[in-house]
Amino acid sequence: MIESNSAFWRWQEYQRVMPNMSWSDKDIVTVGVDVGSVGSKAVVLVNGKIYSWGITRTGSNSPESAAKALDWALKGTGLKQSDIKYVVGTGYGRVNVSFADKALTEIACHAKGANYIWGSGVHTVLDVGGQDIKAIRCDDTGRVTSFLMNDKCAAGTGRGMEVFADLLKIPIEDIGEMSLNVVEEPPAVSCTCVAFAKTEAVGLLRKGWSKEKVLAAYTKAMAVRMSNLIKRVGLEPAFVVTGGQSKNVGIVSRVEVALGVKCLAMPNWREGGLDPMIAGALGAGLFAKALYEKSRGI
Amino acid sequence: MKVKNKQVEPKKVMPEITQKEIDELQNTIRVASEQIITQTIERMKKAFPNRPKELDYFDEIANLFGKRAKEIEQTKKEGKKIIGYNCIFAPIELIIAADAIPVRINSGWYDTSKLGDRVVPVEVCSIIRSTIGAKMIELSPFLEQSDILINVLTCDGMTKLNEILSGYKETWGLSNPRVKDSAQALKFWNEEIKQIKINLEKLTGNKINTKTLKSAILKTQKATKAFRRLQNVRKGNAVISGRDAMLVNQTYMWDDIDRWTEKTNLLCDELERRVENKEWFCSPDTPRIMITGTPMFWPDNWKLPSLIEEGNPKGVLVADELCSSERLLYDPVAIDEWTMDDMLTAIGERYLMACTCPCFTSNDGNEDRINWLLTKAKDNNVQGIIYYVTRGCMLYAMEYTRVKRALDNAKIPVYYLDTDYTREDAGQLKTRVEAFIEMINAQMGF
Repeated sequence: MIESNSAFWRWQEYQRVMPNMSWSDKDIVTVGVDVGSVGSKAVVLVNGKIYSWGITRTGSNSPESAAKALDWALKGTGLKQSDIKYVVGTGYGRVNVSFADKALTEIACHAKGANYIWGSGVHTVLDVGGQDIKAIRCDDTGRVTSFLMNDKCAAGTGRGMEVFADLLKIPIEDIGEMSLNVVEEPPAVSCTCVAFAKTEAVGLLRKGWSKEKVLAAYTKAMAVRMSNLIKRVGLEPAFVVTGGQSKNVGIVSRVEVALGVKCLAMPNWREGGLDPMIAGALGAGLFAKALYEKSRGI
Repeated sequence: MKVKNKQVEPKKVMPEITQKEIDELQNTIRVASEQIITQTIERMKKAFPNRPKELDYFDEIANLFGKRAKEIEQTKKEGKKIIGYNCIFAPIELIIAADAIPVRINSGWYDTSKLGDRVVPVEVCSIIRSTIGAKMIELSPFLEQSDILINVLTCDGMTKLNEILSGYKETWGLSNPRVKDSAQALKFWNEEIKQIKINLEKLTGNKINTKTLKSAILKTQKATKAFRRLQNVRKGNAVISGRDAMLVNQTYMWDDIDRWTEKTNLLCDELERRVENKEWFCSPDTPRIMITGTPMFWPDNWKLPSLIEEGNPKGVLVADELCSSERLLYDPVAIDEWTMDDMLTAIGERYLMACTCPCFTSNDGNEDRINWLLTKAKDNNVQGIIYYVTRGCMLYAMEYTRVKRALDNAKIPVYYLDTDYTREDAGQLKTRVEAFIEMINAQMGF
């Protein structure tokens, strides 16, 4: 099998429709579309309950990526765009969702989505996306009470992880597990900048470190960065992780160690559970329902 | 403050730059800057279709290369001295009493901060780097026309900027104490003020007497009155955009003081009529935002106010606690007796005691600034504060923790926003600002 050298960063695009759910013309169908820097997510809700979703990679064209994500989410549901009552766009490409009725920031949407996935006990959300890390505090209703974002830097973000997947030639979805496959936790890499951390990693590999150990050292540095952001915003349990990197067990478990607090268990998204990567789009879909009802005086 | 007795050969610290390169860069950046000035004013007009007519005057003065620059050039030809200053501690009253023209020279050009990188590391405050770059290519008409510069040594950046600029202009480094509430601090500061008086008299050949100083104090008191009037009219529903008000405040830094006072009063007349007619700038439920932190200078660093007022959702900037805007003229000189000694002491106190710059400290932190922020937030019905810091601005960055604690206790939401003299991060800043305004909206019942 010939595989391109740069294919390791590729993560799986997929679509899902919730079983045992249906819709009719009387239902309020709303959509949230989260155009991130790396992934585009669309979630369809029927009367405020999650019905289907699609996750695709964001291409160079944000409007197309948004449309593609929605196409995926609608596949096999029988729904047409005209059946949708209200669309909220979010994420860094939120202004490029041409079919959206309104745009909201991903900060509000992730808190709302996390509140739906894990319930009202969630008060701190760490969202690790493609190019941002956000630490968000919210109340029982998922309303944001304060938040912090990382500096303009790819360290610890999904993009940074993609660079490491390519460097080590390891599929990105295996990185988390592999980074935990070390006898003893190595010291964190000293550089947080992705470009310099990459150079440092090459040096460590030459020194004879295994790929697992290098990954552990990098992941640890990133987890420390994330936990510092959470400490600055103030950690209030329960704590959850959303965004693409929430699937990286190496990151999540190390953040837990650094904070001394366990996060709420991840839904098993591979076997029918909700995917924490869609939290932003889900929150946008929930806001879409509220905004639709408000516009109709319901 | 050291008095220079003889003119020493200046030591130029900037890298060699040919006149050809200076001319080219100056021309390119000046053309770009004039476009930005026009565009930014157009954006401000677009944000307020029914914009007050009296703002037209300030739009004209806002052109840094326009009318005012020519006036200053002319005044200089007629023999008056131009006094450039960095920081608001420079005693304007003494400058006016010596029949000289004060003009503030802190730079707001993004492009010249890149040139400053040739002289100092990028970690240095953007304002300092930009001012150095502006001097390098002789961009600022006000800086170039200045006969001497008063550099107030408030922070590390200003202290070393004074040295760098001293190779090109005569500079007076005005040293301020870091602790206000001690007898020796006030004594030291008063000596500095007296020395400025002596220097100004020597430079201009004009003796500062009780009559000229009293007249200068009365002039600035009038300006303060107009300045406060504008702030008062903004306490209720917004009748003016925050950006427009900030521009009015900021033009004071280079405009003729009498004319500025007159025009600001005319603007206030118009705004007060609008209050009566309930002609608002925006819907009264727009979140009311205040900004504090590192000063923001016209023309390029209008980034944050624009993001607030053009965002989705929008906010309205109703007040600021910035030394480039509402802190400029707020405090008047308070006189008991019109004697020279009393007047000098009162000037000293106005600049030292009333100032809320983070360069001051005490065991209770910079209490004056915290109390003032809380008062302003209450008086202006502020619903959220954006704490703005440019890279390298250590004093504001480090004071944040303490300020945040006080604001948390008062239940006023605050967001820390750090940036640099660049346009590249506008997208990320937009998300932060919008998320903050959404949060305030949600608290008011989304």
